[in-house]
Amino acid sequence: MAPNVEQSEFFEKKRLGGILIVKDPPKFDLDSYISNYEGFTRLDRLHYIGSSSIYLAVEAYRSAITEAKRGKNVELYQTLVKELATISPSDPAAFPDEAWVEKKTRDVKEELDRLDHELKSYKNNLIKESIRMGNEDMGHFYFACGDYTEAHKSYYRMREHCTSAKHLANMTLRLVYVSIAQKAWMSVQAHLAKVDATQLRLEERTKLDPILSAVCGLAHMCVGNLRDAATQFISTASLYLTTEPAGGIFWQREVLSGNDIAVYGGLCALATMDRSELHHNVLGSSEFRNFLELEPHIRRAITLFCNSKYSACLEILEEYRADYLLDVYLSKVLAIIYGRVRTESIVQYFIPFSCVTLDEMATKFHLTGEYATIEDELESLINNGTLNARIDLVDRLLVSPPTNPRYDVHTDALAMAETYDHTLRLRLTRLSMLAAGMEVRPEKGQHKDMSSGGHDGFAGTMKSLGHKMGF
Amino acid sequence: MSSDLLSLLLSFQPDAPELQQKRDYDHAARQFVIQLYNVQQHYFLKGADTPQDVLSILNPAVNTIAYAISLRLRISAALDKQKSIPDQLQPGGALWNRLLQFLETFDPVQVRYVGSDWRRLVDFFEQIARQVGTPGDAIATMRSTMLRLDPTTGTFTSTHLYFIRLCMEERAYAEALPILDNYIHSQPSRTPAQFRENLEYSVPCADTANSAEYIHIHSGFSERMAIADVQEYYVLGAMAYIGVRQFKKAMLFLEHVLVVPSSNVASGLMLEAYKKWVLVSCLVRGASRVTTAPRTVNGTAFKQVKAASKAYDALADAFAPLNNLPKLRAQINAGKDLWKEDGNTGLVHELLDHHHRFYISRLSQTFSAIPVSKIASNVGGSNKEVTAYLESLITEGHLNARIERTDKVILRFFLDPTHGPLAKTEKQQQQALFEQTERTNMLAEQVKNADYRLSLTKEYIEHLKRLNKKTAGGGGSDAMDVSWDEVDAEEDIMA
Repeated sequence: MAPNVEQSEFFEKKRLGGILIVKDPPKFDLDSYISNYEGFTRLDRLHYIGSSSIYLAVEAYRSAITEAKRGKNVELYQTLVKELATISPSDPAAFPDEAWVEKKTRDVKEELDRLDHELKSYKNNLIKESIRMGNEDMGHFYFACGDYTEAHKSYYRMREHCTSAKHLANMTLRLVYVSIAQKAWMSVQAHLAKVDATQLRLEERTKLDPILSAVCGLAHMCVGNLRDAATQFISTASLYLTTEPAGGIFWQREVLSGNDIAVYGGLCALATMDRSELHHNVLGSSEFRNFLELEPHIRRAITLFCNSKYSACLEILEEYRADYLLDVYLSKVLAIIYGRVRTESIVQYFIPFSCVTLDEMATKFHLTGEYATIEDELESLINNGTLNARIDLVDRLLVSPPTNPRYDVHTDALAMAETYDHTLRLRLTRLSMLAAGMEVRPEKGQHKDMSSGGHDGFAGTMKSLGHKMGF
Repeated sequence: MSSDLLSLLLSFQPDAPELQQKRDYDHAARQFVIQLYNVQQHYFLKGADTPQDVLSILNPAVNTIAYAISLRLRISAALDKQKSIPDQLQPGGALWNRLLQFLETFDPVQVRYVGSDWRRLVDFFEQIARQVGTPGDAIATMRSTMLRLDPTTGTFTSTHLYFIRLCMEERAYAEALPILDNYIHSQPSRTPAQFRENLEYSVPCADTANSAEYIHIHSGFSERMAIADVQEYYVLGAMAYIGVRQFKKAMLFLEHVLVVPSSNVASGLMLEAYKKWVLVSCLVRGASRVTTAPRTVNGTAFKQVKAASKAYDALADAFAPLNNLPKLRAQINAGKDLWKEDGNTGLVHELLDHHHRFYISRLSQTFSAIPVSKIASNVGGSNKEVTAYLESLITEGHLNARIERTDKVILRFFLDPTHGPLAKTEKQQQQALFEQTERTNMLAEQVKNADYRLSLTKEYIEHLKRLNKKTAGGGGSDAMDVSWDEVDAEEDIMA
């Protein structure tokens, strides 16, 4: 089936658009993977996997369509069906269930009217609590229909009717949730800050904290702040795994599972931390250890990195590349993360040596396809300043340049003095000209354009001089 | 009468015991100059070309004041009579020889009192040299005269400008360097008369370290110079440096043109300077060229010149990436007429040549050894050509590397900066540091002097007055305040 899928119209278009397609079979089993999730993220992940993996496309779409039929999001259902039709036109799930669509559209419309009506009557009664709940229901409804903008607005309207800090926190958590669904990471961060600022009782606070740091890590990761993401994920308390739903959201099933935190946190840390940091903050952290136990290969990769077994570490990461590319959040930054881990490995690997053969480097670090040869990769690393080394193309060696701090200090001092001298001379010239009352002034009767009168004449002189000089 | 004149001319003896105090010397010298100016011209001309000729009796090295005035009068009289240059003023003629002798041997202290005569004599010299068609010969004499007057040649005079013009016309770039290398630390300033006279340490004849003390706006050593003249000096100087391939110094000179004070307009010279500056800074800094202007430039003016020289900026951008030679070639070709129009074709070609050099220097940051064949395939060209080119780079001192010839030709860089042909020993480095310290100290001294001169200007004194008024709190009558302030200001200066 796979080759058909690969040549289908859907993937053909993606290929032309330069969008990533995963061809390798992943290690995980779709059913058991997706059973970790509920709610919108379940559909979202299925949809992403279906649209990215050739191997799992049909299976994922089928589950997604069944899932969508249980909800209220008619539009999403139609998109899913249409996309499946371009991948595998003969599939029984690829034909839209028109009757269901019609019925559901009608139901949705009715429910909207009902909720709207209720909300209006609450507003007439001026009971704050009812208005708040009315708006909340409205938000839930829009969210279920997939209209995230309206959902955001509805939740936001709850604000002035919130009477306790708990309500406020719940509302803001809802806003965070909607923003995650919209993948609007900046607004996720803004709302998280607001949750953080609300005054809550201590026990509620301890319940919320793991959620906040996990989501905050996610937001950082998605905007590319890998270092901050790593710190947030690592500081997530293991309470996250067992915490009760907050704000009516079952975070560890509806947003991020414990496994996700282990993977995201582990990879971000690998990409941004050095060996001692990894050893102390990641492997040594009693809280994060609970997460790492869920994903033992991540822990193994980090341990290998800490023990300077870089090639083994990279091998493990390579094995899981296909899996991570199918993760809806991780896939976008995975190339950067892997690239950094690789670069860091090469740099760290080379530090204790004064000289390594290129062939040894090539066997230790298998090429990822980005560069033609290991020389090219090393060359670009040296040129952008990450790796302090020189390549000997004749004896095929990577050589560490000798350092001479005393010489360097002298050279630097000399260079600095020269710059200073230079600047000072310019200033003194300017000063003495000012003292002598010299200034370039606009010429009379001329506009402020460039060519003050003498220019033409002078350019002529320049020209003849230029020719004369043979320059 | 002529004997009277002679005794008058000899009456000023700089070594006389009563003139040991600088103030007395100053007084006597000034009186003497006034007396001589009052003598009518024909007395000076009387005994010309006889054994009684004042010029034969006076010694230019001892009686400089008298000699300068007599010589100036004699030459202008000789030039007045005829249209063409008289024989005695032709090089080799009697008067010419006297002029030459004077310019080479005058007493640098006495001459400070006859600045305008000195300038006229230098002008005569230059004009005659030009008219008889041997301006090249005049360069050396002009230079030694300038250095004799002011060993630092650091105060700008009109002679500077004439000198560099002459050098450029004669393509005598190397000859111009001794003057160009001296930093112009002052422009002739307007020091008020009361600070020039009657003060033991600031009279013109004092043993001043700084030429700006006796070369000022009233001294006659220089014509009134406008800012365009100063800029012209710097642009021409930069071109001379380019001519001898000292690009770094050329860049500094061009920056001097760009930083001039400006009321938000640029001049044509600034435009010329900017264009050259863009090119030269490419040559100096290579790929890591900073495109930002020196910090003291006038922003608006700089923007104007930048907007008018987009082609040059584009060229510099094409120069920066070292692996894109075709783009640079294309840019150079596209602007061919423009470079020619501006007289910059040579510099632009120099860019192309340097591009290879920077490319190869960059290799030393990445490789420790590389087969020449690989470089050849990247740059284009045969192995032999590239080898020859690399060898020339090494011998010219651009590359700290050596060429090894085993079965194939290899370029091997020296990784340690203390090895190889470009290596500097610790001693050399220390020497360089000492020299730099010396230069910086000298500069600091010049800054101090400039500061002192600024504190003598009317503007500064008025500023002080206002400041004092503010602190005084406005009590008392106005007339009282002013008188007190003036005393205060003077005390400040003396302090």
